[in-house]
Amino acid sequence: MLWHKSWLETRARFLVGLALAICAALSVVMLYTRVGELLQLAPPPDTGGVLGRKIREAVVLAQDYRGYVWSQWFAHQLTQMWTLFALLLGSGGLRSQSSRGGALFTLSLPVSRGRMVGVRAAVALAELAVLALVPSLVLVALSPAIGQSYSIADAVVHALCVAVGGSVLFSLTFALSTLWADLWRPLLIALLVVVVLSLAQTVFPELSRFSVFGVMSAEGYFQGDGLPWLGLSASAAVSAALLWGAARNIARQDF
Amino acid sequence: MADAHVIETGDLRKHYDGVEALRGLTLAVPAGSIYGFLGRTGAGKTTTIKVLLGMARPTSGRATVFGLPVESPQSSVEIRRRTGFVGDDKGLYDAMTVRGMIRYTASFYPQWSRELEERYLRRFELPAERGIKDLSRGMRTKLALLLALCRNADLLVLDEPTTGLDPAATEDVLQALVGHAADRGCTVFFSSHQLAEVDQIADRIAIVDRGRSVLAGALDDVRAAYRRIELVFDRDAPDARFTAPGVVRVRRKGRVLSVLSSAGAERIVDEARALGPVSVDVAPVALKDIFLETVATED
Repeated sequence: MLWHKSWLETRARFLVGLALAICAALSVVMLYTRVGELLQLAPPPDTGGVLGRKIREAVVLAQDYRGYVWSQWFAHQLTQMWTLFALLLGSGGLRSQSSRGGALFTLSLPVSRGRMVGVRAAVALAELAVLALVPSLVLVALSPAIGQSYSIADAVVHALCVAVGGSVLFSLTFALSTLWADLWRPLLIALLVVVVLSLAQTVFPELSRFSVFGVMSAEGYFQGDGLPWLGLSASAAVSAALLWGAARNIARQDF
Repeated sequence: MADAHVIETGDLRKHYDGVEALRGLTLAVPAGSIYGFLGRTGAGKTTTIKVLLGMARPTSGRATVFGLPVESPQSSVEIRRRTGFVGDDKGLYDAMTVRGMIRYTASFYPQWSRELEERYLRRFELPAERGIKDLSRGMRTKLALLLALCRNADLLVLDEPTTGLDPAATEDVLQALVGHAADRGCTVFFSSHQLAEVDQIADRIAIVDRGRSVLAGALDDVRAAYRRIELVFDRDAPDARFTAPGVVRVRRKGRVLSVLSSAGAERIVDEARALGPVSVDVAPVALKDIFLETVATED
């Protein structure tokens, strides 16, 4: 029943995230035709630097539906939205419960602290997997409505890359939440880390394949180079290490 | 129950960030007793309970529950499996309803009693479908007690169990506790500021002050041992020094010399007569006065 408690505690954040992500997926599909028309009207960008490169890439990618979906959905909207909800779902937990009441009751139950932490992490990770997968499948299901199609396999692979690659961001917030009893400090620190990573990737695009967001967008897979196994493995390993650290930290704490 | 002492601690110490919450606490709680754990705010009662249930780790010393060491994570799970607990914060899960909270808690205890659950739901007039966040403090306290009692636990550890209850509800809860302990033969270890409650239901007590046990024993023995001897003189009371054992405190006020004894009155009265008082009066001492005097001696 620990999973039930974790579900009750996180379901509002999860359901809001899911609803927003599904709406975003819908808008990506519905705006495809309009975006295509606008891009044909737009003059070739002569802006240099990062912005110009991004616009030129977007124009090229939007020329076919697969490129458009990858660029608009998997590499941007889903990644950004998923990251935000990974941080939200990673915050909270036993430590913050101690400042709001209920932690002592939880700790009085005949369950090890490791199991408490493990179940909470597992429930949130499952929610995050659904948050990546379901809107992506909605996008696949709706594509025929505008006369397009998108591969289910590609959608599943990209969604899993988002979830596995980004799990490190969830685990970071989760681990930080075992250090402070308030909800906001871990969230703000994790958000700062995300902003720094994002800026670093923008300023140094050659580093993008080593970054979390590079793994999440799985550009290599989109380009036909196969899955970013190294990045996925590294993310999973770092994520597991952070979760282990969180469990150890909770186990040694006094409440 | 096989364990002679359900709870035992020896020279138990706990430091929090430089604060000594427990400073060599020694306790022995016999199986089947209703044990009142008294102390001022900050005396170490809640810390003791947290250490016993594995919520805080002892800094040094020994603590066992059911003979199992509290600092071992595996033992701690087993201790909690056999223990019902009500925390001083009465913290429950706001996201659940009363019924949901009961089902959730029951899932951890195979020996959970549905019969007791229904009985206490009715007795405490708890609204089963109401959300926890909508419960009054008194209702929360009653629900927390229900969750502890229905576990069919061998030990109930209750930290200020009647907080937030009105006098009628307090009486009801105390009666329920006594009845439950008598029916099930379980041990009740409860902390309280309410000395009248302790006086009413406890058969053994310990008074803790500044992290140490300053008085422990069967309540009847404590009551029998403590006596106040008042000596009235026809002049200002002398600055007497008593050599008899058990003198807790001597107070002089005008012609009256008041002696509090923790070892009966006989030997002190013998000594007192030598001082030539015009009258000697021996009276029993209320638990409240024992508490106040015992704690005051530490100042």
